[in-house]
Amino acid sequence: MKKAQTEILGLAIVVVLVIIATILVVKFGFSKSTNTRNDFTSSQEASNILNTFLKTSAPDCSQLTMTELLQDCAQGTGLVCSNGEDSCNFVKSAATTILLETIGAEKKNYEFIACSNFNIREIKCDSTPLVNVGQPCQGQKKLKIFPIPTNSGTIYVKLEICT
Amino acid sequence: MNNKKAQIQIFETIAVLVVFFVLLGIGFIFYTKVIKSNIESDAAEISQSKSVSIAQRAMFLPEIQCSEDNVPKENCIDTLKLDSAISVIPDNPLYYYDLFEFSKITISEIYPDSSASAKTLYNRAAPNDYKRQFKTRVPVTLYDPLTKTNKFGMIEIVTYTK
Repeated sequence: MKKAQTEILGLAIVVVLVIIATILVVKFGFSKSTNTRNDFTSSQEASNILNTFLKTSAPDCSQLTMTELLQDCAQGTGLVCSNGEDSCNFVKSAATTILLETIGAEKKNYEFIACSNFNIREIKCDSTPLVNVGQPCQGQKKLKIFPIPTNSGTIYVKLEICT
Repeated sequence: MNNKKAQIQIFETIAVLVVFFVLLGIGFIFYTKVIKSNIESDAAEISQSKSVSIAQRAMFLPEIQCSEDNVPKENCIDTLKLDSAISVIPDNPLYYYDLFEFSKITISEIYPDSSASAKTLYNRAAPNDYKRQFKTRVPVTLYDPLTKTNKFGMIEIVTYTK
């Protein structure tokens, strides 16, 4: 009787040791690693690219900024740049070049749209976009939306980077 | 008979002790691996934080940052200031080493002229024991005060850490 009790006590100690080992493995083995640099760069990426893009001057369109060209595109004043493109197409070709060299170089997918009827709740265009570059993300994404005031209402520019 | 039983019990005790020490050894190996992995992870985290702080110092460097009425503009590089800084920085290596340590900072134009050659603002090669390398690319506006035009540029900061 005494021997059996001692063996049960031994078994209980083994079980306790196994539980402690499992807790240690779960605690240290599956701890999520942090990545400070990636958090820093990805959180700023969409905002920085869109902000810089909108300030960029167009050499073939009287050095107007992309914001001014988008305003012209929405208002339809019929501005034609020296390379023969209208403001909408000029913004589209500039966005294609810049996004390909920045986000595209990192092999990430993206979508850039500018539209006058923007549904801010569903984050999508209710009408045909004025400018559309890239494809919408299927999974996780980082996005930035910029409102631009025009004489015919506010237009919204959205940059979505798939992560 | 008693002698044989005692021998068996001694053998049993030895076997239990062997198993105990084997388990203790496995536990110790696991513990050291976990500690080593934690130290490596902490070291990587420190290196990344250092890389981020160097990148931020480069992005907000007053020597190259645009300003209007003494108000600095974020994410904007004045190209005239940049040209001057490129000639001043190599003459003051110790001052800029305190800011950027072992790193390379280059500024390139993406639009409208992506073929324009990149300008190296700072470059200090790392010693051989600096094995980690982090590259941070941040889009910036390249402002030309002479023509008052903005170009789309990219500042690339490569930092080397141990």
